[in-house]
Amino acid sequence: MAMDLTVNGVRHSVDVAPDTPLLWVIRDTLQLTGTKFSCGIAQCGACTVHIDDRAVRSCSVPVSAAVGKKVTTIEGLSSDGTHPVQLAWIDLDVPQCGYCQSGMIMSVVALLKRTPNPTDAQIDAGVTNACRCSTYHRIRQAIHVAARRISAAGGKI
Amino acid sequence: MSNSDLSRRDVLTTGAAAAGALVVGFFMPQRADAQIIKPEGAAWAVEPATPEVNAWVVVAPDDTVTVRIAQTELGQGVWTSNAMIVAEELQCDWSKVKPQYASANRDAREMAPAWTLKAPGNGAQDPSGGGEPEFGSRDRTGVQGIPDSLYRRMRTNAAASVKDGRYYLQLAGAEARERLLLAAAKTWGVPVEEVSSKNSVITHAKTRRTTTYGKVASLAAQTPHPNPEKIRIKPPSEWTLMGTEQKNLDVPLKVTGKAVYGIDVHLPGMKWAAVKSCPVYGGKVKSYDFEKIRREPGVIKAIQFPIPEPKLIRGRIFGGGVAVLADSWYQAKSAIEKMPIEWDEPPENARRNTASIRAELMASLDKPGKVGVNIGDCDAAFKSGAKIVEATYSVPYLPRARMEPGNATVLVSDNRVDIWIGDQSPQETRRSCSEITGIPETNVYVHLCHLGGGYGRNGNGPQAEQAIYIANLNRGTPIHLLWTREEDFVNTTYRSMGVAKLRAALDRDGWPIAIEVKTATDAEAPGQNAGFDVAPRYFAPNYRFSMHSGRFHIPVGTRRGVGAPAQHFYRESFMDELAHAAGKDPYLYRRELVSRTNLPYKADIIKALDMAAEMSGWGRPLPQGTARAIAFEERGAEEGHHATLSAQVHTVSVSKQGQVRVLRVDVAHDEGFGLVNPLTVKKQLEGQITWFLNDAIYQEVNVKDGRMVENNFDTFPLSRINENPPEINIRFFKTGHWLDGMGHDRGTAIQSCIADAVFQITKKRYRDLPFRNHDLTWT
Repeated sequence: MAMDLTVNGVRHSVDVAPDTPLLWVIRDTLQLTGTKFSCGIAQCGACTVHIDDRAVRSCSVPVSAAVGKKVTTIEGLSSDGTHPVQLAWIDLDVPQCGYCQSGMIMSVVALLKRTPNPTDAQIDAGVTNACRCSTYHRIRQAIHVAARRISAAGGKI
Repeated sequence: MSNSDLSRRDVLTTGAAAAGALVVGFFMPQRADAQIIKPEGAAWAVEPATPEVNAWVVVAPDDTVTVRIAQTELGQGVWTSNAMIVAEELQCDWSKVKPQYASANRDAREMAPAWTLKAPGNGAQDPSGGGEPEFGSRDRTGVQGIPDSLYRRMRTNAAASVKDGRYYLQLAGAEARERLLLAAAKTWGVPVEEVSSKNSVITHAKTRRTTTYGKVASLAAQTPHPNPEKIRIKPPSEWTLMGTEQKNLDVPLKVTGKAVYGIDVHLPGMKWAAVKSCPVYGGKVKSYDFEKIRREPGVIKAIQFPIPEPKLIRGRIFGGGVAVLADSWYQAKSAIEKMPIEWDEPPENARRNTASIRAELMASLDKPGKVGVNIGDCDAAFKSGAKIVEATYSVPYLPRARMEPGNATVLVSDNRVDIWIGDQSPQETRRSCSEITGIPETNVYVHLCHLGGGYGRNGNGPQAEQAIYIANLNRGTPIHLLWTREEDFVNTTYRSMGVAKLRAALDRDGWPIAIEVKTATDAEAPGQNAGFDVAPRYFAPNYRFSMHSGRFHIPVGTRRGVGAPAQHFYRESFMDELAHAAGKDPYLYRRELVSRTNLPYKADIIKALDMAAEMSGWGRPLPQGTARAIAFEERGAEEGHHATLSAQVHTVSVSKQGQVRVLRVDVAHDEGFGLVNPLTVKKQLEGQITWFLNDAIYQEVNVKDGRMVENNFDTFPLSRINENPPEINIRFFKTGHWLDGMGHDRGTAIQSCIADAVFQITKKRYRDLPFRNHDLTWT
């Protein structure tokens, strides 16, 4: 069944079963492979994307739920890798294997949109993605760095 | 000769690729060449536009330096650290260095230069030398030793990439530099002794002429080194790049989704395979009913596969299974879940469960084992001890559970195999491709991708072997096999369940006069001798260590740290128990016992303990419900070898409701003669602290009716940022040796430290991991 899907500002017509998880439409149909598959049951967050600025675990959201909404993936976060969260990740040298980091960054961006200057407790509650390399120590520092820079630049991300 | 893995099959962008995807084109006609580019995030070997200087170094006219990396980047930073080693000697502009995977195909066709074959200098204690490689012996397969093929050992394991590769990567950088200088000297007609280089610029000071590496690279490629055996490598005192904190070169790709992992490979005409393997190892498919799913969307066919050939995967026996091919992976996965499959399970395997395996291991402790060390007379000493302390510990089966589920993309044509895979052992995978298809290894092309975590996982099969088998039956069609998370838990080797019984006889003052250690694991488990198969680090005049085992059907393999994490947990927990039994401070108790040994580097161990204790504020009062515990870690403890040392103090709170929180970690770590990239080492330490926190608190996989029970992150939880220690302090101290690697068994201390903190706070001693099975509440 053909559906209209807007991903990273681009409209696509996709012909897939409506219950196909959004993740697989993003990865296979649109070949945006920055969003990762890991658990398939919304546990780990490697597949996190935004639907209308809210972080969702795309492995467990049917594509039909995204029709008429704005989907953003890691590829759409910035055109050149200069989103403040991406830059903070580079400055703190956060990633190790990197596999979870697309989803992690999307979760953090969603957190900062609703909580621009999160406390450690708000980070604990708001970032529930799993990183098997356990880069959490640097993730926390990078979130604070990004938040400071965003508010210094006027607060918009 | 051509060294191209993709000269005809390079990568092209299409409309889809412009949107961010990776598309790989095949046999493109010449006129398409102009369109052929390599996506930024793909890292596999390609033929350079300019001739290489040597097998590791290619310099382009714009001075971009491509450094070939023979190990796989799986988060340990090898892409950056190994490139730093080459760049240090090359004296090139670091900002223009681009790593790229070495060609495993070329490795099948060329031998290593003679100057790479032997580490220079006098072993691990010579600062000017190449150190003492972990894999000194020769083995063509690269499993037990190191091959003499071009890139030597391409395996990424045992945290040995820097330790083993440093000397020949330094030599490779130096060889290239000297030939670039020769080329410049030849161009100018001046003696080579009069030219020097820095940051890719070559200078003839006398005539104030300069040129760049890029300008003379083509000439250097044709200028052989007159006497490569004379090449000298820089000792740490001369390092300018090595030893500095350098950010990982692949990080920009990893924050934009551009890094290419095996799962991201899309080829034109590619079909996807979803798999179900027999959940009982050693079992196979009895029957399946493809008719039930034939008309499901996108479904093409089902293919039964046998138990993957054990000799290709180090003797490990997995299950046979069936794959469903479809246009997309989600279609294949949805269909296979609806397909009825009956299994033929070996009944003796299907009868096993966690309790029966544990009981067999426990029983093996009372039978004669393989004695590793026997010093003095333990039996006599136990009769005369003032106090006997005895404790039995256990650890469960553990998978690595890397985030990227197993996958491989394979195209078999008449006389060529291409495989795209994140792989810790491409030389073994090359062999698997050849053995399964009958196509010679020289026609096998392993296109290495980044790995979404390794931890010992890849190289233990059988994602490559399943994919090659299926692709070989579908020659001409690229097959991308991908496991579900659940299937990843089936198709993996595990760290063996382990049990250990430790006994000590203490004298009247509480010092051990005898220690006896018995451990038991699966007979095939690697690393059974770790930590114990040496004279005791904590002195006892009588000491006996024996290894016991049982034989089970769960395939066991190398998981991060191999045998050390379990054995460190046993040893350090027991030292805490002895200190408490003696009524002594666990730090000072350890310190005294180390000082009583005649270990040549005991001063370094004492330094580690003292430094960690001092950093942590050891002895200063803590609030109720909070405690400190200390442990010592040693990697590479072998007679005659200086192990890599660290001591850690963990400050841990336990709430009355039984919630454990590691508040602070203080690490004193040996840096030997020097670290290549201290930033990477810090990241490895930070990550491993929480890796072993996970092991200690949560992780176990049980066996029921012969099957692995926990198989996804709902039943096998991973700790999140809320549990990460908020404060991690790391300090390094110099010692007189070259280090063992850092990707392994650093941070194991957290296991015994949590156990001891729980004991101090709750008065309850737990000896079986993980802690989530225990009642940690207190009043």
